[in-house]
Amino acid sequence: MTTTTTAPTSAPSTPPPPTRRRRSYRALQPGPGGTVLRYVLLTVASVVTLFPFYAMVVLSLKPAAAVEFPGSLLPWPVNLDAYATVLDSRSILRWLLNTTIYSVVSVVAVLALAAMAGYAFAKKRFPGRETMFWSFLAMVMVPYHVTLIPTFILIAKVGGVDTYWGLILPTLANAQAVFLMRQFIQGLPDELFEAAKIDGASEWRMFVRIVLPLCKPILATLGVFVFLWHWNDLLWPLIIGQSGDMRTLTVGIASLQQEQVPLNVMLAGSVVAFVPIFAAYLVGQRYFTEGVTMSGIKG
Amino acid sequence: MAVSAQLPARRARRVIARREARWGLLFVLPAFLLFLAFRFGPAIAGLVLGFMEYTIGGDAEWTGLDNARRLADDPVFWQSLRVTVVYTVLYVPLTVAASVGLALLVRRGFRGVGFFRSVFFLPVVTSLVLVATIFSWVFSSAGPWSRILGWLGLPDDSWLASSTLVLPALALVGVWSHFGYGMLIVLARLQDLPREQEEAALTDGAGPWQRFRWIVLPQLKPVLFFLLVIETTASFQVFDLVYAMTGGGPARASYTLVMALYDQGFKYFDLGYASAIGAALFAMTLVVALIQRLALGRDK
Repeated sequence: MTTTTTAPTSAPSTPPPPTRRRRSYRALQPGPGGTVLRYVLLTVASVVTLFPFYAMVVLSLKPAAAVEFPGSLLPWPVNLDAYATVLDSRSILRWLLNTTIYSVVSVVAVLALAAMAGYAFAKKRFPGRETMFWSFLAMVMVPYHVTLIPTFILIAKVGGVDTYWGLILPTLANAQAVFLMRQFIQGLPDELFEAAKIDGASEWRMFVRIVLPLCKPILATLGVFVFLWHWNDLLWPLIIGQSGDMRTLTVGIASLQQEQVPLNVMLAGSVVAFVPIFAAYLVGQRYFTEGVTMSGIKG
Repeated sequence: MAVSAQLPARRARRVIARREARWGLLFVLPAFLLFLAFRFGPAIAGLVLGFMEYTIGGDAEWTGLDNARRLADDPVFWQSLRVTVVYTVLYVPLTVAASVGLALLVRRGFRGVGFFRSVFFLPVVTSLVLVATIFSWVFSSAGPWSRILGWLGLPDDSWLASSTLVLPALALVGVWSHFGYGMLIVLARLQDLPREQEEAALTDGAGPWQRFRWIVLPQLKPVLFFLLVIETTASFQVFDLVYAMTGGGPARASYTLVMALYDQGFKYFDLGYASAIGAALFAMTLVVALIQRLALGRDK
Protein backbone atom coordinates (compact mmCIF):
# COMPACT_ATOMS: atom_id res chain seq x y z
CA MET A 1 0.00 0.00 0.00
CA THR A 2 2.69 2.49 0.95
CA THR A 3 4.61 1.89 -2.28
CA THR A 4 1.64 3.17 -4.29
CA THR A 5 1.86 6.65 -2.83
CA THR A 6 5.64 6.91 -2.85
CA ALA A 7 6.09 5.97 -6.48
CA PRO A 8 5.46 9.14 -8.45
CA THR A 9 7.14 7.88 -11.62
CA SER A 10 4.74 5.01 -12.29
CA ALA A 11 2.29 5.72 -15.09
CA PRO A 12 -1.31 6.02 -13.96
CA SER A 13 -2.53 3.37 -16.41
CA THR A 14 -0.38 0.56 -14.97
CA PRO A 15 -1.51 -0.61 -11.55
CA PRO A 16 1.19 -0.57 -8.85
CA PRO A 17 2.86 -4.00 -8.74
CA PRO A 18 2.70 -4.88 -5.04
CA THR A 19 -1.04 -4.33 -4.74
CA ARG A 20 -1.74 -6.18 -7.95
CA ARG A 21 0.36 -9.11 -6.90
CA ARG A 22 -1.36 -9.46 -3.60
CA ARG A 23 -4.85 -9.24 -5.04
CA SER A 24 -4.22 -11.80 -7.75
CA TYR A 25 -2.54 -14.10 -5.28
CA ARG A 26 -5.80 -14.17 -3.41
CA ALA A 27 -7.75 -14.55 -6.61
CA LEU A 28 -5.88 -17.73 -7.51
CA GLN A 29 -6.76 -19.16 -4.11
CA PRO A 30 -9.99 -21.15 -4.13
CA GLY A 31 -13.22 -19.62 -2.79
CA PRO A 32 -14.88 -20.81 0.45
CA GLY A 33 -16.36 -23.89 -1.25
CA GLY A 34 -13.02 -24.74 -2.84
CA THR A 35 -11.20 -24.34 0.46
CA VAL A 36 -13.56 -26.76 2.19
CA LEU A 37 -13.22 -29.24 -0.67
CA ARG A 38 -9.44 -28.98 -0.51
CA TYR A 39 -9.35 -29.64 3.22
CA VAL A 40 -11.75 -32.57 2.86
CA LEU A 41 -9.64 -34.17 0.11
CA LEU A 42 -6.40 -33.58 2.00
CA THR A 43 -7.86 -34.98 5.21
CA VAL A 44 -9.03 -38.13 3.44
CA ALA A 45 -5.61 -38.55 1.80
CA SER A 46 -3.85 -38.01 5.14
CA VAL A 47 -6.03 -40.58 6.89
CA VAL A 48 -5.28 -43.12 4.14
CA THR A 49 -1.58 -42.30 4.44
CA LEU A 50 -1.39 -42.40 8.23
CA PHE A 51 -3.79 -45.26 8.97
CA PRO A 52 -1.26 -48.05 8.26
CA PHE A 53 1.24 -46.43 10.65
CA TYR A 54 -1.44 -46.17 13.32
CA ALA A 55 -2.41 -49.80 12.77
CA MET A 56 1.24 -50.86 12.96
CA VAL A 57 1.68 -49.26 16.38
CA VAL A 58 -1.69 -50.26 17.84
CA LEU A 59 -1.62 -53.87 16.67
CA SER A 60 1.90 -54.27 18.05
CA LEU A 61 0.41 -53.45 21.45
CA LYS A 62 -2.22 -56.21 21.28
CA PRO A 63 -2.19 -59.90 22.07
CA ALA A 64 -1.42 -62.16 19.10
CA ALA A 65 -5.04 -63.15 18.52
CA ALA A 66 -6.35 -59.58 18.10
CA VAL A 67 -6.25 -58.96 14.37
CA GLU A 68 -9.92 -58.33 13.57
CA PHE A 69 -10.82 -55.02 11.96
CA PRO A 70 -12.10 -52.73 13.39
CA GLY A 71 -12.33 -54.16 16.91
CA SER A 72 -8.57 -54.51 17.40
CA LEU A 73 -7.84 -50.86 16.58
CA LEU A 74 -8.74 -49.33 19.93
CA PRO A 75 -5.49 -48.13 21.49
CA TRP A 76 -6.24 -49.71 24.88
CA PRO A 77 -5.69 -51.96 26.77
CA VAL A 78 -1.97 -51.89 26.11
CA ASN A 79 -0.21 -55.24 26.04
CA LEU A 80 3.58 -55.31 25.78
CA ASP A 81 3.95 -59.06 25.20
CA ALA A 82 4.97 -58.63 21.58
CA TYR A 83 7.81 -56.28 22.52
CA ALA A 84 8.95 -58.65 25.24
CA THR A 85 9.03 -61.49 22.71
CA VAL A 86 10.78 -59.51 20.04
CA LEU A 87 13.43 -58.14 22.39
CA ASP A 88 13.93 -61.41 24.27
CA SER A 89 14.06 -64.31 21.94
CA ARG A 90 14.78 -62.67 18.64
CA SER A 91 18.08 -61.26 17.56
CA ILE A 92 16.51 -57.92 16.75
CA LEU A 93 19.16 -55.94 18.63
CA ARG A 94 21.82 -57.64 16.55
CA TRP A 95 19.87 -56.76 13.39
CA LEU A 96 19.60 -53.18 14.55
CA LEU A 97 23.35 -53.09 15.13
CA ASN A 98 24.01 -54.57 11.68
CA THR A 99 21.72 -52.08 9.97
CA THR A 100 23.34 -49.21 11.87
CA ILE A 101 26.85 -50.31 10.88
CA TYR A 102 25.78 -50.84 7.26
CA SER A 103 24.16 -47.40 7.06
CA VAL A 104 26.57 -45.26 9.05
CA VAL A 105 29.83 -46.60 7.61
CA SER A 106 28.42 -46.42 4.09
CA VAL A 107 27.24 -42.83 4.46
CA VAL A 108 30.59 -41.61 5.75
CA ALA A 109 32.55 -43.47 3.09
CA VAL A 110 30.25 -42.56 0.18
CA LEU A 111 30.32 -38.88 1.13
CA ALA A 112 34.11 -38.82 1.49
CA LEU A 113 34.70 -40.64 -1.81
CA ALA A 114 32.11 -38.61 -3.70
CA ALA A 115 33.38 -35.28 -2.34
CA MET A 116 36.95 -36.08 -3.37
CA ALA A 117 36.02 -37.36 -6.82
CA GLY A 118 33.47 -34.60 -7.37
CA TYR A 119 36.05 -31.96 -6.46
CA ALA A 120 38.61 -33.42 -8.85
CA PHE A 121 36.10 -33.70 -11.71
CA ALA A 122 34.88 -30.16 -11.12
CA LYS A 123 38.08 -28.22 -10.51
CA LYS A 124 41.15 -30.20 -11.61
CA ARG A 125 42.55 -30.94 -15.04
CA PHE A 126 44.04 -34.37 -15.48
CA PRO A 127 44.39 -36.87 -18.31
CA GLY A 128 41.35 -39.13 -18.77
CA ARG A 129 39.03 -36.84 -16.86
CA GLU A 130 36.27 -36.77 -19.46
CA THR A 131 36.41 -40.51 -20.18
CA MET A 132 36.22 -41.34 -16.50
CA PHE A 133 33.38 -38.95 -15.88
CA TRP A 134 31.28 -40.18 -18.79
CA SER A 135 31.80 -43.80 -17.82
CA PHE A 136 30.49 -42.91 -14.36
CA LEU A 137 27.49 -41.25 -15.91
CA ALA A 138 26.73 -44.08 -18.35
CA MET A 139 26.60 -46.57 -15.48
CA VAL A 140 23.68 -44.73 -13.89
CA MET A 141 21.63 -46.20 -16.75
CA VAL A 142 22.50 -49.84 -16.01
CA PRO A 143 19.98 -51.39 -13.61
CA TYR A 144 21.38 -52.44 -10.27
CA HIS A 145 20.13 -55.99 -10.84
CA VAL A 146 22.33 -56.53 -13.89
CA THR A 147 25.44 -56.04 -11.76
CA LEU A 148 24.05 -57.97 -8.80
CA ILE A 149 25.17 -61.48 -9.76
CA PRO A 150 28.74 -60.70 -10.89
CA THR A 151 29.18 -58.54 -7.79
CA PHE A 152 28.03 -61.45 -5.64
CA ILE A 153 30.44 -63.84 -7.43
CA LEU A 154 33.29 -61.39 -6.91
CA ILE A 155 32.54 -60.91 -3.22
CA ALA A 156 32.07 -64.66 -2.71
CA LYS A 157 35.43 -65.36 -4.40
CA VAL A 158 37.31 -63.01 -2.08
CA GLY A 159 35.54 -64.37 1.00
CA GLY A 160 33.24 -61.43 1.69
CA VAL A 161 30.01 -63.38 2.24
CA ASP A 162 28.73 -62.90 5.79
CA THR A 163 31.18 -60.09 6.53
CA TYR A 164 30.62 -56.39 7.11
CA TRP A 165 33.14 -55.37 4.48
CA GLY A 166 31.53 -57.66 1.91
CA LEU A 167 28.22 -56.04 2.71
CA ILE A 168 29.47 -52.45 2.61
CA LEU A 169 32.25 -52.27 0.00
CA PRO A 170 30.24 -52.79 -3.23
CA THR A 171 27.62 -50.22 -2.22
CA LEU A 172 30.29 -47.52 -1.99
CA ALA A 173 30.52 -47.33 -5.79
CA ASN A 174 27.83 -44.66 -6.00
CA ALA A 175 27.89 -42.88 -9.35
CA GLN A 176 24.95 -40.59 -8.58
CA ALA A 177 26.69 -39.24 -5.50
CA VAL A 178 29.83 -38.40 -7.49
CA PHE A 179 27.73 -36.75 -10.15
CA LEU A 180 25.81 -34.58 -7.68
CA MET A 181 28.98 -33.54 -5.84
CA ARG A 182 30.60 -32.52 -9.13
CA GLN A 183 27.54 -30.45 -10.09
CA PHE A 184 27.61 -28.67 -6.75
CA ILE A 185 31.35 -27.98 -6.63
CA GLN A 186 31.32 -26.71 -10.21
CA GLY A 187 29.00 -23.97 -9.00
CA LEU A 188 31.51 -22.74 -6.41
CA PRO A 189 33.62 -19.77 -7.58
CA ASP A 190 37.24 -20.57 -8.54
CA GLU A 191 38.53 -17.54 -6.62
CA LEU A 192 37.94 -19.35 -3.34
CA PHE A 193 40.45 -21.98 -4.33
CA GLU A 194 42.90 -19.61 -6.02
CA ALA A 195 43.28 -17.55 -2.85
CA ALA A 196 44.11 -20.60 -0.79
CA LYS A 197 46.57 -21.81 -3.42
CA ILE A 198 48.43 -18.49 -3.31
CA ASP A 199 48.59 -18.80 0.47
CA GLY A 200 50.47 -22.03 -0.15
CA ALA A 201 47.93 -24.38 1.39
CA SER A 202 48.57 -28.00 0.51
CA GLU A 203 46.01 -29.75 -1.67
CA TRP A 204 44.80 -32.00 1.11
CA ARG A 205 44.46 -29.16 3.58
CA MET A 206 42.61 -27.12 1.03
CA PHE A 207 40.17 -29.98 0.48
CA VAL A 208 39.52 -30.43 4.19
CA ARG A 209 39.54 -26.75 5.19
CA ILE A 210 37.83 -25.14 2.20
CA VAL A 211 36.03 -27.61 -0.05
CA LEU A 212 34.33 -29.72 2.61
CA PRO A 213 32.93 -26.82 4.65
CA LEU A 214 31.55 -25.21 1.49
CA CYS A 215 29.86 -28.50 0.59
CA LYS A 216 28.00 -28.82 3.88
CA PRO A 217 24.49 -28.32 2.45
CA ILE A 218 24.89 -30.87 -0.32
CA LEU A 219 26.67 -33.31 2.01
CA ALA A 220 23.74 -33.17 4.41
CA THR A 221 21.16 -33.74 1.70
CA LEU A 222 23.13 -36.47 0.00
CA GLY A 223 23.96 -38.07 3.35
CA VAL A 224 20.31 -38.32 4.33
CA PHE A 225 19.51 -40.08 1.08
CA VAL A 226 22.39 -42.51 1.17
CA PHE A 227 21.47 -43.29 4.79
CA LEU A 228 17.84 -43.90 3.89
CA TRP A 229 18.76 -46.14 0.99
CA HIS A 230 21.04 -48.30 3.13
CA TRP A 231 18.70 -48.43 6.12
CA ASN A 232 15.86 -49.69 3.91
CA ASP A 233 17.91 -51.85 1.52
CA LEU A 234 16.77 -55.45 1.30
CA LEU A 235 18.19 -57.31 -1.69
CA TRP A 236 21.95 -56.95 -1.18
CA PRO A 237 21.96 -57.71 2.59
CA LEU A 238 19.62 -60.63 1.86
CA ILE A 239 22.15 -62.09 -0.56
CA ILE A 240 25.35 -61.35 1.31
CA GLY A 241 24.27 -61.78 4.94
CA GLN A 242 23.29 -65.41 4.86
CA SER A 243 23.86 -66.38 8.48
CA GLY A 244 21.46 -65.24 11.18
CA ASP A 245 24.08 -63.01 12.80
CA MET A 246 24.62 -60.91 9.67
CA ARG A 247 20.97 -60.12 9.01
CA THR A 248 19.92 -56.50 8.84
CA LEU A 249 16.55 -55.29 10.13
CA THR A 250 14.88 -55.56 6.73
CA VAL A 251 16.21 -59.08 6.15
CA GLY A 252 15.36 -60.10 9.70
CA ILE A 253 11.79 -58.88 9.60
CA ALA A 254 11.25 -60.47 6.19
CA SER A 255 12.57 -63.73 7.65
CA LEU A 256 10.07 -63.49 10.52
CA GLN A 257 7.33 -63.42 7.92
CA GLN A 258 8.54 -66.67 6.45
CA GLU A 259 8.70 -68.25 9.90
CA GLN A 260 4.98 -67.47 10.41
CA VAL A 261 5.65 -65.41 13.52
CA PRO A 262 2.44 -63.86 14.96
CA LEU A 263 1.47 -60.48 13.52
CA ASN A 264 1.86 -58.53 16.75
CA VAL A 265 5.48 -59.68 17.15
CA MET A 266 6.28 -58.82 13.55
CA LEU A 267 4.73 -55.39 13.96
CA ALA A 268 6.65 -54.82 17.20
CA GLY A 269 9.81 -55.55 15.22
CA SER A 270 8.61 -53.17 12.52
CA VAL A 271 8.08 -50.41 15.07
CA VAL A 272 11.62 -50.91 16.37
CA ALA A 273 12.92 -50.63 12.80
CA PHE A 274 10.75 -47.63 12.01
CA VAL A 275 11.46 -45.43 15.05
CA PRO A 276 15.03 -44.39 14.07
CA ILE A 277 14.01 -43.44 10.52
CA PHE A 278 10.94 -41.63 11.81
CA ALA A 279 13.04 -39.65 14.29
CA ALA A 280 15.53 -38.78 11.55
CA TYR A 281 12.65 -37.69 9.32
CA LEU A 282 11.18 -35.42 12.01
CA VAL A 283 14.54 -33.75 12.62
CA GLY A 284 15.94 -33.52 9.11
CA GLN A 285 12.82 -33.28 7.01
CA ARG A 286 14.16 -30.37 5.01
CA TYR A 287 17.04 -32.50 3.73
CA PHE A 288 14.74 -35.33 2.69
CA THR A 289 12.59 -33.03 0.59
CA GLU A 290 15.57 -31.19 -0.88
CA GLY A 291 17.09 -34.50 -1.87
CA VAL A 292 14.03 -35.40 -3.89
CA THR A 293 13.94 -32.15 -5.79
CA MET A 294 17.61 -32.55 -6.69
CA SER A 295 16.21 -35.71 -8.27
CA GLY A 296 18.05 -38.44 -10.07
CA ILE A 297 18.59 -40.00 -6.67
CA LYS A 298 16.94 -43.31 -6.07
CA GLY A 299 13.71 -42.48 -4.29
CA MET B 1 65.65 -10.82 -22.59
CA ALA B 2 61.92 -11.29 -23.03
CA VAL B 3 62.35 -14.94 -23.98
CA SER B 4 64.49 -15.80 -20.98
CA ALA B 5 61.97 -14.15 -18.65
CA GLN B 6 59.13 -16.18 -20.12
CA LEU B 7 60.86 -19.52 -19.84
CA PRO B 8 60.87 -19.96 -16.07
CA ALA B 9 57.28 -18.74 -15.92
CA ARG B 10 56.20 -21.28 -18.48
CA ARG B 11 58.13 -24.00 -16.72
CA ALA B 12 56.56 -23.03 -13.40
CA ARG B 13 53.14 -23.17 -14.97
CA ARG B 14 53.89 -26.62 -16.33
CA VAL B 15 55.04 -27.79 -12.91
CA ILE B 16 51.86 -26.46 -11.36
CA ALA B 17 49.73 -28.13 -14.04
CA ARG B 18 51.48 -31.43 -13.46
CA ARG B 19 50.97 -31.12 -9.72
CA GLU B 20 47.30 -30.35 -10.32
CA ALA B 21 46.91 -33.40 -12.55
CA ARG B 22 48.59 -35.63 -10.01
CA TRP B 23 46.30 -34.45 -7.22
CA GLY B 24 43.26 -34.65 -9.47
CA LEU B 25 43.98 -38.28 -10.25
CA LEU B 26 44.69 -39.03 -6.62
CA PHE B 27 41.33 -37.59 -5.57
CA VAL B 28 39.39 -39.48 -8.23
CA LEU B 29 41.22 -42.77 -7.89
CA PRO B 30 39.52 -44.35 -4.83
CA ALA B 31 36.03 -43.74 -6.18
CA PHE B 32 37.07 -44.80 -9.68
CA LEU B 33 38.65 -48.08 -8.58
CA LEU B 34 35.55 -49.01 -6.56
CA PHE B 35 33.48 -48.06 -9.54
CA LEU B 36 35.52 -50.26 -11.89
CA ALA B 37 35.32 -53.20 -9.49
CA PHE B 38 31.67 -53.00 -8.51
CA ARG B 39 29.81 -51.21 -11.28
CA PHE B 40 31.66 -51.20 -14.59
CA GLY B 41 33.22 -54.66 -14.34
CA PRO B 42 30.05 -56.38 -13.08
CA ALA B 43 27.92 -54.66 -15.72
CA ILE B 44 30.09 -56.12 -18.49
CA ALA B 45 30.41 -59.45 -16.67
CA GLY B 46 26.65 -59.58 -16.18
CA LEU B 47 26.07 -59.36 -19.91
CA VAL B 48 28.82 -61.92 -20.65
CA LEU B 49 27.51 -64.34 -18.01
CA GLY B 50 24.17 -64.29 -19.79
CA PHE B 51 25.87 -66.37 -22.50
CA MET B 52 27.40 -68.84 -20.07
CA GLU B 53 26.55 -71.79 -17.93
CA TYR B 54 27.93 -70.80 -14.56
CA THR B 55 27.42 -72.53 -11.23
CA ILE B 56 28.54 -71.40 -7.81
CA GLY B 57 31.14 -74.19 -7.73
CA GLY B 58 33.04 -72.18 -10.33
CA ASP B 59 32.33 -74.32 -13.42
CA ALA B 60 31.97 -71.89 -16.30
CA GLU B 61 31.18 -72.85 -19.87
CA TRP B 62 30.41 -70.69 -22.86
CA THR B 63 27.04 -71.82 -24.15
CA GLY B 64 26.22 -68.99 -26.56
CA LEU B 65 22.52 -68.43 -27.01
CA ASP B 66 21.46 -71.43 -24.90
CA ASN B 67 20.25 -69.23 -22.07
CA ALA B 68 18.28 -67.06 -24.48
CA ARG B 69 16.63 -70.17 -25.96
CA ARG B 70 15.92 -71.46 -22.48
CA LEU B 71 14.29 -68.14 -21.58
CA ALA B 72 12.14 -68.27 -24.71
CA ASP B 73 10.90 -71.75 -23.77
CA ASP B 74 10.51 -71.08 -20.06
CA PRO B 75 6.88 -70.53 -19.02
CA VAL B 76 8.03 -69.23 -15.63
CA PHE B 77 10.06 -66.48 -17.34
CA TRP B 78 7.09 -65.47 -19.51
CA GLN B 79 4.87 -65.49 -16.45
CA SER B 80 7.29 -63.20 -14.58
CA LEU B 81 7.47 -60.89 -17.60
CA ARG B 82 3.68 -60.75 -17.81
CA VAL B 83 3.37 -60.07 -14.06
CA THR B 84 5.96 -57.29 -14.29
CA VAL B 85 4.20 -55.63 -17.23
CA VAL B 86 0.75 -55.87 -15.60
CA TYR B 87 2.13 -54.44 -12.37
CA THR B 88 3.74 -51.57 -14.30
CA VAL B 89 0.54 -50.81 -16.22
CA LEU B 90 -1.43 -50.66 -12.96
CA TYR B 91 1.17 -48.90 -10.83
CA VAL B 92 2.63 -46.17 -13.04
CA PRO B 93 -0.52 -44.25 -14.14
CA LEU B 94 -2.01 -44.39 -10.64
CA THR B 95 1.20 -43.13 -9.03
CA VAL B 96 1.63 -40.28 -11.50
CA ALA B 97 -2.04 -39.29 -11.17
CA ALA B 98 -1.88 -39.33 -7.36
CA SER B 99 1.38 -37.35 -7.44
CA VAL B 100 -0.06 -34.62 -9.65
CA GLY B 101 -3.38 -34.48 -7.80
CA LEU B 102 -1.81 -34.05 -4.39
CA ALA B 103 0.83 -31.65 -5.68
CA LEU B 104 -2.00 -29.41 -6.95
CA LEU B 105 -3.75 -29.63 -3.57
CA VAL B 106 -0.68 -28.60 -1.57
CA ARG B 107 0.59 -26.16 -4.18
CA ARG B 108 -0.18 -22.82 -2.56
CA GLY B 109 0.47 -21.79 0.98
CA PHE B 110 -2.37 -22.24 3.45
CA ARG B 111 -2.77 -23.21 7.07
CA GLY B 112 -1.38 -26.70 7.59
CA VAL B 113 0.27 -27.09 4.17
CA GLY B 114 3.60 -28.10 5.70
CA PHE B 115 1.91 -30.78 7.78
CA PHE B 116 0.19 -32.32 4.76
CA ARG B 117 3.38 -32.32 2.70
CA SER B 118 5.29 -34.10 5.48
CA VAL B 119 2.54 -36.66 5.94
CA PHE B 120 2.47 -37.57 2.26
CA PHE B 121 6.24 -38.06 2.14
CA LEU B 122 6.37 -40.30 5.22
CA PRO B 123 5.64 -43.56 3.35
CA VAL B 124 8.56 -42.84 1.00
CA VAL B 125 11.07 -43.00 3.86
CA THR B 126 9.52 -46.19 5.26
CA SER B 127 11.15 -49.51 4.41
CA LEU B 128 9.11 -51.59 1.97
CA VAL B 129 9.52 -54.59 4.26
CA LEU B 130 7.62 -52.74 6.98
CA VAL B 131 5.08 -51.54 4.44
CA ALA B 132 4.60 -55.15 3.32
CA THR B 133 4.16 -56.34 6.91
CA ILE B 134 1.39 -53.92 7.73
CA PHE B 135 -0.35 -54.21 4.36
CA SER B 136 -0.39 -58.00 4.60
CA TRP B 137 -2.75 -57.36 7.49
CA VAL B 138 -4.67 -54.60 5.69
CA PHE B 139 -5.44 -56.98 2.81
CA SER B 140 -5.91 -60.12 4.97
CA SER B 141 -9.42 -61.50 5.36
CA ALA B 142 -9.62 -60.04 8.90
CA GLY B 143 -8.20 -56.69 7.79
CA PRO B 144 -9.93 -53.43 6.85
CA TRP B 145 -9.81 -53.82 3.06
CA SER B 146 -11.75 -57.09 2.99
CA ARG B 147 -14.08 -55.97 5.75
CA ILE B 148 -15.01 -52.71 4.02
CA LEU B 149 -15.60 -54.55 0.73
CA GLY B 150 -17.82 -56.95 2.69
CA TRP B 151 -19.84 -54.10 4.22
CA LEU B 152 -20.36 -52.74 0.70
CA GLY B 153 -21.74 -56.11 -0.34
CA LEU B 154 -18.72 -57.00 -2.48
CA PRO B 155 -16.76 -60.28 -2.30
CA ASP B 156 -14.66 -60.06 0.85
CA ASP B 157 -11.98 -62.69 0.23
CA SER B 158 -8.40 -61.58 0.78
CA TRP B 159 -7.00 -60.01 -2.38
CA LEU B 160 -3.59 -61.47 -1.58
CA ALA B 161 -5.01 -64.98 -1.91
CA SER B 162 -6.55 -64.29 -5.31
CA SER B 163 -4.50 -64.80 -8.45
CA THR B 164 -6.33 -61.99 -10.29
CA LEU B 165 -6.50 -59.44 -7.45
CA VAL B 166 -3.03 -59.87 -5.95
CA LEU B 167 -1.41 -57.55 -8.52
CA PRO B 168 -3.94 -54.74 -8.07
CA ALA B 169 -3.38 -55.06 -4.32
CA LEU B 170 0.41 -54.86 -4.72
CA ALA B 171 0.07 -51.93 -7.13
CA LEU B 172 -2.09 -50.04 -4.62
CA VAL B 173 0.52 -50.58 -1.92
CA GLY B 174 3.18 -49.44 -4.37
CA VAL B 175 1.22 -46.25 -5.06
CA TRP B 176 0.70 -45.65 -1.35
CA SER B 177 4.40 -46.02 -0.65
CA HIS B 178 5.70 -43.81 -3.44
CA PHE B 179 3.24 -41.08 -4.51
CA GLY B 180 4.86 -38.62 -2.07
CA TYR B 181 8.06 -38.73 -4.12
CA GLY B 182 6.33 -37.73 -7.36
CA MET B 183 4.28 -35.16 -5.48
CA LEU B 184 7.43 -33.33 -4.37
CA ILE B 185 8.91 -33.43 -7.88
CA VAL B 186 5.74 -32.05 -9.47
CA LEU B 187 5.41 -29.51 -6.65
CA ALA B 188 8.91 -28.15 -7.28
CA ARG B 189 8.00 -27.55 -10.93
CA LEU B 190 4.60 -26.04 -10.07
CA GLN B 191 6.24 -23.51 -7.81
CA ASP B 192 8.54 -22.39 -10.62
CA LEU B 193 5.65 -21.64 -12.97
CA PRO B 194 5.07 -17.93 -13.55
CA ARG B 195 1.76 -16.72 -12.20
CA GLU B 196 0.92 -14.27 -14.95
CA GLN B 197 -0.68 -16.65 -17.44
CA GLU B 198 -2.95 -18.19 -14.86
CA GLU B 199 -3.96 -14.75 -13.65
CA ALA B 200 -4.74 -13.64 -17.19
CA ALA B 201 -6.84 -16.75 -17.74
CA LEU B 202 -8.64 -16.10 -14.48
CA THR B 203 -9.43 -12.56 -15.60
CA ASP B 204 -10.81 -14.03 -18.84
CA GLY B 205 -13.13 -16.20 -16.77
CA ALA B 206 -11.40 -19.58 -17.08
CA GLY B 207 -12.40 -22.05 -14.35
CA PRO B 208 -9.97 -24.16 -12.30
CA TRP B 209 -10.18 -27.17 -14.63
CA GLN B 210 -9.64 -25.03 -17.75
CA ARG B 211 -6.66 -23.29 -16.15
CA PHE B 212 -5.18 -26.66 -15.26
CA ARG B 213 -5.88 -28.29 -18.63
CA TRP B 214 -4.67 -25.50 -20.89
CA ILE B 215 -2.06 -23.62 -18.86
CA VAL B 216 -0.58 -25.75 -16.08
CA LEU B 217 -0.62 -29.20 -17.68
CA PRO B 218 1.30 -28.26 -20.86
CA GLN B 219 4.06 -26.77 -18.72
CA LEU B 220 4.20 -29.89 -16.57
CA LYS B 221 4.84 -32.12 -19.57
CA PRO B 222 8.62 -32.50 -19.15
CA VAL B 223 8.38 -33.29 -15.44
CA LEU B 224 5.55 -35.76 -16.00
CA PHE B 225 7.66 -37.46 -18.61
CA PHE B 226 10.56 -37.68 -16.20
CA LEU B 227 8.26 -39.23 -13.57
CA LEU B 228 6.85 -41.72 -16.06
CA VAL B 229 10.32 -42.93 -16.99
CA ILE B 230 11.54 -43.13 -13.39
CA GLU B 231 8.46 -44.95 -12.14
CA THR B 232 8.37 -47.33 -15.13
CA THR B 233 12.01 -48.30 -14.64
CA ALA B 234 11.40 -48.72 -10.91
CA SER B 235 8.37 -50.95 -11.42
CA PHE B 236 10.31 -53.17 -13.86
CA GLN B 237 12.60 -53.80 -10.89
CA VAL B 238 9.98 -54.30 -8.18
CA PHE B 239 11.21 -56.82 -5.63
CA ASP B 240 11.11 -55.83 -1.94
CA LEU B 241 7.36 -55.46 -1.75
CA VAL B 242 6.64 -58.73 -3.55
CA TYR B 243 9.28 -60.69 -1.68
CA ALA B 244 8.04 -59.54 1.74
CA MET B 245 4.31 -59.52 1.01
CA THR B 246 3.45 -62.47 -1.21
CA GLY B 247 6.73 -64.22 -2.01
CA GLY B 248 5.53 -64.20 -5.62
CA GLY B 249 2.34 -66.13 -4.90
CA PRO B 250 -0.31 -67.31 -4.94
CA ALA B 251 0.88 -69.81 -7.56
CA ARG B 252 3.34 -67.33 -9.14
CA ALA B 253 0.53 -64.80 -9.74
CA SER B 254 2.81 -62.02 -8.44
CA TYR B 255 6.14 -63.52 -9.49
CA THR B 256 8.09 -60.58 -10.96
CA LEU B 257 11.23 -60.54 -13.09
CA VAL B 258 13.54 -59.69 -10.21
CA MET B 259 11.90 -62.43 -8.11
CA ALA B 260 12.78 -64.83 -10.93
CA LEU B 261 16.32 -63.45 -11.08
CA TYR B 262 16.70 -63.82 -7.32
CA ASP B 263 15.40 -67.39 -7.27
CA GLN B 264 17.51 -68.54 -10.22
CA GLY B 265 20.62 -66.88 -8.85
CA PHE B 266 20.42 -67.39 -5.12
CA LYS B 267 18.04 -70.31 -4.61
CA TYR B 268 19.07 -72.57 -7.51
CA PHE B 269 22.51 -70.96 -7.99
CA ASP B 270 22.08 -71.01 -11.75
CA LEU B 271 24.05 -67.79 -12.09
CA GLY B 272 24.35 -67.78 -15.89
CA TYR B 273 20.62 -68.13 -16.38
CA ALA B 274 19.92 -65.49 -13.73
CA SER B 275 22.25 -63.13 -15.61
CA ALA B 276 20.27 -63.75 -18.79
CA ILE B 277 17.15 -62.59 -16.93
CA GLY B 278 19.14 -59.54 -15.84
CA ALA B 279 20.05 -58.87 -19.48
CA ALA B 280 16.36 -59.03 -20.42
CA LEU B 281 15.66 -56.48 -17.69
CA PHE B 282 18.43 -54.26 -19.04
CA ALA B 283 16.94 -54.50 -22.54
CA MET B 284 13.54 -53.40 -21.22
CA THR B 285 15.14 -50.42 -19.46
CA LEU B 286 16.96 -49.48 -22.66
CA VAL B 287 13.71 -49.55 -24.64
CA VAL B 288 12.14 -47.13 -22.16
CA ALA B 289 15.19 -44.86 -22.38
CA LEU B 290 15.01 -45.01 -26.18
CA ILE B 291 11.32 -44.07 -26.20
CA GLN B 292 12.21 -41.20 -23.88
CA ARG B 293 14.91 -39.98 -26.29
CA LEU B 294 12.58 -40.20 -29.26
CA ALA B 295 9.73 -38.44 -27.50
CA LEU B 296 11.99 -35.64 -26.24
CA GLY B 297 13.51 -35.29 -29.70
CA ARG B 298 10.05 -34.90 -31.20
CA ASP B 299 9.20 -32.19 -28.70
CA LYS B 300 12.14 -30.01 -29.69
